[in-house]
Amino acid sequence: MSKTVNGVEIDDTFAEAFGMTGTGIIITADSLKWARIAATVATGFGTSVIGAGAECGIDRELSPDDTPDGRPGVRILMFGFSPDALVPQIRNRIGQCVLTSPGSACYAGLKAPQSIGLGKAPRYFGDGFQTAKKLGQSRYWRVPVMDGEFVIEEETGVTTDAVGGGNMLILGNDRAGLLETAEAAVEAIAKVDDVITPFPGGIVRSGSKVGAKYSGMFASTNDAFCPTLRGTVKKSELGPDTLAVLEIVIDGLTSKAVADAMRAGLKAVTDTGAKRGVTRVTAGNYGGKLGQHHYHLKDLI
Amino acid sequence: MSGLTLRLKAPASERINLDGVTPAKLAALSGHEIAKLNVGIDKGGLALGDAFDISGSASETLTIEGAGPNLDFVGGGLDSGTIRVVGDVGSYAGRKMARGKLEIRGNAGHYLASGATGGFIHVSGNAGDNAGGFIPGDRFGMLGGVAVVGGNVGARAGEKMRRGTIIVKGKTGEGAGTRMIGGTIWAEGGIGPLPGFMMRRGTLLGPSVESLLPTFIDCGKHDLVIVRVMSRYFKSTLGDLAPAAMPLFVRKIGGDLATIGRGEILLPAA
Repeated sequence: MSKTVNGVEIDDTFAEAFGMTGTGIIITADSLKWARIAATVATGFGTSVIGAGAECGIDRELSPDDTPDGRPGVRILMFGFSPDALVPQIRNRIGQCVLTSPGSACYAGLKAPQSIGLGKAPRYFGDGFQTAKKLGQSRYWRVPVMDGEFVIEEETGVTTDAVGGGNMLILGNDRAGLLETAEAAVEAIAKVDDVITPFPGGIVRSGSKVGAKYSGMFASTNDAFCPTLRGTVKKSELGPDTLAVLEIVIDGLTSKAVADAMRAGLKAVTDTGAKRGVTRVTAGNYGGKLGQHHYHLKDLI
Repeated sequence: MSGLTLRLKAPASERINLDGVTPAKLAALSGHEIAKLNVGIDKGGLALGDAFDISGSASETLTIEGAGPNLDFVGGGLDSGTIRVVGDVGSYAGRKMARGKLEIRGNAGHYLASGATGGFIHVSGNAGDNAGGFIPGDRFGMLGGVAVVGGNVGARAGEKMRRGTIIVKGKTGEGAGTRMIGGTIWAEGGIGPLPGFMMRRGTLLGPSVESLLPTFIDCGKHDLVIVRVMSRYFKSTLGDLAPAAMPLFVRKIGGDLATIGRGEILLPAA
């Protein structure tokens, strides 16, 4: 039985999410502007683990008091299938996007029993001129670069208890109003720690189903939710008043963080959605057999 | 104070070797066995119970009272717990210490923290020569941990030191960081003459340096992120014992160019 909250229908269904490996990295710079630039570039093209290798995003901004070097910073999160799969992602993204960014430095952004290389590979850019400084349990590499030194911690924590693919599908009869509502939901989710929404602006317009008629395609368009196909496909999920559907995908370092993020997102949608033409919220799942984590929408409102 | 207390009976006429006399080791022994421990300099030498009055019961903390400069190897091999010393100690205090805390309310002799791999040492007074240094037969000097000396240290502090930190509230003697391989010596009262002879890597910090070897070169004025990281790290772990933060800009003096020259002496930039 679906439920209606503030004029928005909430389906009695659940988001099905998967166990993933996640890590956190702190990027600092001389100003928040440049920390953000480095973080944005490093997390770019980090939407879906299938096509992009890792799902990445900015978790939050850090004040100078919260960073190891007392400069403004940004914490990014990266999610992949396994710690081994994250290694080349960290190496390439940090090496190409953070090492190169003016004034940047890079530190562990997750404390966990298991660790993964952060500066282990980028330090070799120093060509033998790099030096290390070990303080407590952390080793910091100092790589001489043209604007001074790139400081990067040798390792960061990694967790295999992370969750990828928490989601909600927002349906509406006004495309502009739907996008505004989804943006509000992404903003609300951004306030929750330890989660990211890896897609552009946190919003996906091309929800997918597993498989395709073409061989070699792992995923293809979710035709049941395509409004232009309503009536022409065998089983459309959309009612006659639905004009568009947007999805928000959430990855988190813990299952609780993902649940909190979904709760925050749902609240934003139900608080302001109805007047913007939002009619219904549902969630993507595969019948519950593939993913280890189920988030029932009715438990989160 | 809880824990076992050893009080030196009388100014001893011979040297006393407290190597391996740690809270964990004493906790595993009976009172009788503790009293029988050999703390002399040769086999069948002085027994602990003959040199010290023993009181209290063994715990995480061991207190040594009435200590004097004839007590060598205090905290040698310390792996856990705390040793508090009231009075001066002799040479090799904290030798090969791995973890735990050694607090000396007095002066320390030569070779403080030599070969230490971890833990925290605080000497309220001065320390002798070769603090954090190596002794013949060792490959390296200090390998980890933090030693804070409230006063001055003698010559060649951190000789062949590889990791770890020595913080000196006063000055270092001649040749600090000689043959240093890594690690940090932060001398708040200034760096003594001719530091870093044949140093490969590592960092010496201070407000001034008395004189430089000709193989050290001025690399200019820089704002180094690592100095901020170090200042914040020491502030968060050492509290009041942390050295005052360096100014934003430091002058880097690189050397020793008689070897690979990756070491540095960091001074406030004028």
